[in-house]
Amino acid sequence: MDEQAPMIRVERLSKQFHDLRRGPVTALGEASFHVRPGEIFGLLGPNGAGKTTCLRILSTVLRPTSGRATVAGYDVATQAGEVRRRIGFMSGNTGIYDRMTAWELVEYYGRLYGIPEEPLRERLENIFRTLQMNEFRDMLGSKMSTGMKQKVSIARTIVHDPPVLIFDEPTSGLDILVARAVLETVDALRDQGKCIIFSTHIMREVEKLCDRIAIIHRGEILAQGGLAELVDRHAQPDIEELFFELIRRHDASSDAAATDSPPVPAADHSSRTTAARHTL
Amino acid sequence: MNWRNVKLIFLREVRDQLRDRRTLFMVAVLPLILYPVMGIGMLNMTVTFTEQTRTVLVVNAGDLPQPPLIASGRILERHFSSPADSEKIRVLTDAPEDEAALSPADARFLKEVRARLPRLEQLAALADEVRAAESASAPATAELKERLTSQQEELSGWFEQAPVQVLLIVPKNLRADVEAIHGRLAAGARDGEALELPSHPILLHNSADEKSAIAFRRVRQAVDAWEREVLRERLKLAGLPLSLPSPVQPVAIDLARTEKIAANIWSKLFPALLVIMSVTGAFYPAIDLGAGEKERGTMETLLISPATRHEIVTGKFLTVMLFSFSTALLNLASMGFTGQHMVALRAGTGAALGGMTLPTLTAVMWIILLAVPLAALFSALSLAFAMFARSTKEGQYYLTPLLMVAIGLMMFSMNPSVELTPFYSVMPVVGPALLLKALLLGTNLGSLAFSAVAVIASSLCYSVLALWWAIDQFQREDILFREAERFDMRLWLRHLLREKEAIPSFSEAAFCFVLILLLQFLSFNTMRDQFLAAQHDGRVLQLQMIYLLTTVATPALMMAVLLTRDPLRTLKLRGCHPKWLLAGLVLPLILQPLAIELLHQMRWFFPELPAGVEQTLKAMTNPGVPLWLALLAFAVAPAICEELAFRGFILSGLQRTQRYRLAAVMSSVAFGIVHMIPQQVFNATLLGLVLAALALRSGSLYPGVLFHLVFNGTQVLMARMPRDMTAESGLLDWVIRGTGEQMRFTPACLAVCAVLAVPLLMWLAFGPVARGWRDNYPAESGASAGEEATAVGA
Repeated sequence: MDEQAPMIRVERLSKQFHDLRRGPVTALGEASFHVRPGEIFGLLGPNGAGKTTCLRILSTVLRPTSGRATVAGYDVATQAGEVRRRIGFMSGNTGIYDRMTAWELVEYYGRLYGIPEEPLRERLENIFRTLQMNEFRDMLGSKMSTGMKQKVSIARTIVHDPPVLIFDEPTSGLDILVARAVLETVDALRDQGKCIIFSTHIMREVEKLCDRIAIIHRGEILAQGGLAELVDRHAQPDIEELFFELIRRHDASSDAAATDSPPVPAADHSSRTTAARHTL
Repeated sequence: MNWRNVKLIFLREVRDQLRDRRTLFMVAVLPLILYPVMGIGMLNMTVTFTEQTRTVLVVNAGDLPQPPLIASGRILERHFSSPADSEKIRVLTDAPEDEAALSPADARFLKEVRARLPRLEQLAALADEVRAAESASAPATAELKERLTSQQEELSGWFEQAPVQVLLIVPKNLRADVEAIHGRLAAGARDGEALELPSHPILLHNSADEKSAIAFRRVRQAVDAWEREVLRERLKLAGLPLSLPSPVQPVAIDLARTEKIAANIWSKLFPALLVIMSVTGAFYPAIDLGAGEKERGTMETLLISPATRHEIVTGKFLTVMLFSFSTALLNLASMGFTGQHMVALRAGTGAALGGMTLPTLTAVMWIILLAVPLAALFSALSLAFAMFARSTKEGQYYLTPLLMVAIGLMMFSMNPSVELTPFYSVMPVVGPALLLKALLLGTNLGSLAFSAVAVIASSLCYSVLALWWAIDQFQREDILFREAERFDMRLWLRHLLREKEAIPSFSEAAFCFVLILLLQFLSFNTMRDQFLAAQHDGRVLQLQMIYLLTTVATPALMMAVLLTRDPLRTLKLRGCHPKWLLAGLVLPLILQPLAIELLHQMRWFFPELPAGVEQTLKAMTNPGVPLWLALLAFAVAPAICEELAFRGFILSGLQRTQRYRLAAVMSSVAFGIVHMIPQQVFNATLLGLVLAALALRSGSLYPGVLFHLVFNGTQVLMARMPRDMTAESGLLDWVIRGTGEQMRFTPACLAVCAVLAVPLLMWLAFGPVARGWRDNYPAESGASAGEEATAVGA
């Protein structure tokens, strides 16, 4: 697949916020990566690392402070409409309407994407069958279980058959059965040749799904590449150890740079790693 | 904008709202049930409510002259305009057979009255004396009144405890005295002491007590009617015409048709209800569509759909408007029908109220037409608030202020003395409310045509502005993704005072404006009194300067020093290219004639000047005041104080948004608002735009100060120009025509000014902002890239 041109190009993308408590905050600092069709690109990072900010910029909901990102050749800042037509976005924040049935909701978004009525109906039947949603197609959002809601969200994400799919922690807060179903769907979408970005903080998901990953922490991409390649390059036993090692190194260097905070004792490495593993 | 998407969003939102039981209840069920239920409640109240009878005690009842006033414990029915009122007054008398039947409390009271009779008579005599003195407008009444008051006080404590509400004391031998005067008159006597009564009956009552007041009103009405009968008796006996007491007898004919009486009631109720219901009808759906969607996490889902934010907001706006509109109209219809039904019911029971016809079809059409701009305005406003709110709970907090402002404006327009004027017709809410009031009262549409156009056009303008604001809110990331962060007062204060920034923030600028408004509001009464009481015009000018210094300059200076790291930069106290100073010198001279002419042409539009202002304006023209003082008060002080505040602190804060045009407009509107008087608000807002442009382009306050100084200075000089000066020097003939108050600029002069002003203003408006400002706060987009090419050096 390497011969194919990247669907998503992110070049030196930055986003700054202003926070009352912390002053100007860099949520994302000069991130760059490419994603090709038929590939799942994993964004791996702890909470608050800047994953969501990055993906929101890609979905045109936020504007970048500097840098450039294109989706299918369209700039996310200047051609937002074209970009939105070509992506499907799903995250913990993309809820579904309480007072709409599953069918109505997916149909509504299909119409917003400008799909004509007849093909839309066929597409809906198809999606509802594939995702096994027919038993609750006329159920209101407020009555659905989490698993049903998640299926509706996925159906909504793929209703217009977009070449690019963005999943921002799609499994957070789900029970294991639902989470597994979501991951299987994502895997199936890759096999259809979609270009997929998948952000998570769960190592197993990355190992199972992703072709290439970027480890992101405090708004910076610490490393990126194929899974095996990364593990080899940094001489770590697995992706999990690699992740914590990279984060430890980054924190140690930035702590050393800051004059007023005490440096992290190097001997504390292993216990820190375990502590961090628990929090994740 | 893709209207297909707008329609899709609109239809979805409407369906969503219709599936929400709360909305349905608010919009449809509540109005349909509320008014009939309230009507039934009121009906029950009126049925079960019977007025208590009140008691009047008549002392020496036997001495009442003919014809009879009282018979068997009642005042005769014929003395009341409504005969049923006779039942509501119970009469006790001291006639021997009645006295035996008195209750112990009444009997005790009668005894007390008898004991106090001399004092009561004394009081009556005194009251009579005061009455006589007042009718003769004699000066010695003050002392009499004082005595009367002291005597009244002694008795009032006693009467408050009385078991009766009104006490009628008839003087002994009144009957004989009246009949004696009848006789003398009949015998031809026409003047002299003998025709006056030696003493008058006393009607004792206590108007501070509601029961006594009602009883007295009834008794008084009956006694007056009875007195007229006594008079007729007297005239008949004396052989005089019965028309003697009313020699002119004008005939008053009430041409009010019953539907007009109804119209009068509708004209008060409908505009009020329309305004309130438009607000509430818009608010709840707006909160659900704005903050609710944020809260439930469906907002982001919608944002990543192909619909643009304009389309989303427009779709939501149309939904809110539909609900606001239907709520208002349903409420009006329900109230109208209930009201009519109620009146019909009451009319059936015999009360003479006349039918309450519903408004005519034309009036109904007007109600519907005017409900549109009102609904649009409140929908857009509510939506903007709802977008701003983080949660539905926060959103609810914004309802009260919005409702209060709407009700305030509505109350103002409900005032019977407020009528539709050109100025009011362009005010939000007030315009539609007054127009509707006039239309419901049946004012001829022809005479309202102009106002109607003005009201609808201006209302639509306000709605579009509000909608634009809502869309703007929706496009801002910080508002769309506002996290529910905990507010820490201490942290915030520390941040404010310690971690200062070079120039103020947007909210600090807004706060400065609010502070100026508050200070002006607080000092308003004191200053006005001082102005009116000022002994000489010099004092007025001093006050004017103090006012400006304390309410305008001080807040800006204080905030600049306290809250910013670089007060000089904040207040724009720095040099600039001389060409800006030149512009500040020349522009006011060119704009002055145009501004004066514009205000003159707009004179019909504005209300009269209030008294305090006239006083100030008079002081400006008073030749007795030294010229330097006038210039100091009207040119130097405003130029420095107002520029420091509005182009200094406030504009510096507003321009941080990078939206310079918006900042210029907002600062000049703020500048306009503090001028309070409509004429000056208008004038100052326009000039504020020029001043803001000068400040933004030059990056310095000085050109603006110079502009302001020259502009106000020439006004002072013109006002003090000798009246005959124009006549003497032919040089000014081509500039000025007329003299004194009538002075105007010639069309030639105005044309020259306009030709000069247009390119200058264009140059000012379309150029780039001064460099120092852009460098520190680079624009987010490349929008200002073009401007940099022609940047102006500081």
